[in-house]
Amino acid sequence: MNIEGQIRDILARITRVDKDIITRESTFKEIKADSLDVVQALVAVEETFGIEIPDEEAQKFQNFGDFVCYVENRVAQKEKV
Amino acid sequence: MARNGKIRVAVDAMGGDYAPEEVVKGAVFAAEKEDVQIFLVGPAAILEKELAKYRITNGSTVHVVGASEFIKENESPVDVIRRKPDCSVAVAAKMVKSGEADALFSAGSSGAAAISAIQYIGMLNGVYRPALVGSLGSFASNTVMVDLGANVDCKPHQFLVFAIAGSVYAKKFLNIADPKIALLSTGSEETKGNEAVREAYSVLKNSGLNFIGNIEGGDILNGKANVIVCDGFVGNVLLKFYESIGGHAQVWTERKLKKYPPLRALARLLFKRLFPATRIRKETERQGGGILWGVNGVVKIAHGASRAPQIANAIESAKEAVKAGVVESMKMELEKFNRGGKS
Repeated sequence: MNIEGQIRDILARITRVDKDIITRESTFKEIKADSLDVVQALVAVEETFGIEIPDEEAQKFQNFGDFVCYVENRVAQKEKV
Repeated sequence: MARNGKIRVAVDAMGGDYAPEEVVKGAVFAAEKEDVQIFLVGPAAILEKELAKYRITNGSTVHVVGASEFIKENESPVDVIRRKPDCSVAVAAKMVKSGEADALFSAGSSGAAAISAIQYIGMLNGVYRPALVGSLGSFASNTVMVDLGANVDCKPHQFLVFAIAGSVYAKKFLNIADPKIALLSTGSEETKGNEAVREAYSVLKNSGLNFIGNIEGGDILNGKANVIVCDGFVGNVLLKFYESIGGHAQVWTERKLKKYPPLRALARLLFKRLFPATRIRKETERQGGGILWGVNGVVKIAHGASRAPQIANAIESAKEAVKAGVVESMKMELEKFNRGGKS
């Protein structure tokens, strides 16, 4: 499964929403994810991909697509190293 | 669970308005019972110094477990995960997860305790977030209410878990074989209430539980339902209002009887004796705080203002919850729904 699919699964599992409703344009508010859901998702994604997502970066995510892009970039950087 | 017949309670020794002094003192009181072993979690140097004030009489039943950090009053509960994963409440939760302790107790930030429970102990299968359950006391001695404030914004499926938790509570602590469950709303009809309540009605109606429909505020104390389900926002507002009734009624009555001192004195006496009736009770009569229902382990939280006697009672109550097997009972009830695909 690609990075986007894995993050979608993590977010759907934590928020208990149907993963099919999570699109790249979905905001955390739209999928009814509260601050704890978001933090749990960040920790789970960090553990899954072996990366760190600083709070200041996470706060910039406007929607699911931003979250996925950030993780894809970090994973690509990690693979280069 | 218990080792050598002792229930092991991990105490967040830095949580509470009077921590660590009153928490350590309360833990020492609780440890006077033979069947409990206490782990005080927090900065070791501070706790050992505090513990040295007491002479532990029944062997080494109070131990210190080091945790370098703790959650301060002004810090976000979410910091337990991101910034302070080794704080006292998180370490205590991890002890429950690893099997080193049977229960966690905290009088600190209830949000931090709940988040530690969710993140480090984990929820039972089918449960999204923990819930607080309480009995309405003497005015409605066969009625419990869920949620009392752990979940301010709820998703419809959470109401089902609240109903199951309340049902387990009513069976375990009130000895009601088949509790009647109702949803608190603005009318008895299925179409009444806000969107979450209307969706919850449908979930509960199809749950197979003994769901009797909606009840209104006026039905809360008449015994119509044994388990009243509502979101934590409504539950918490109602809890605080209910607990304040006695005090306000006393002030009002004494003011009205100002010109009749003997009657005023009698009224004062009556209120003092009778109006703890409006106190919400959780788990036992001598409770101090409440259990977070739905966590895969016993987690007991208490008011931040708790002093040593309340801390000791709460630890005792956590121990009783372990003995009563509340987590196992909740797990069994949830499994019925998970098997049937209903939760």
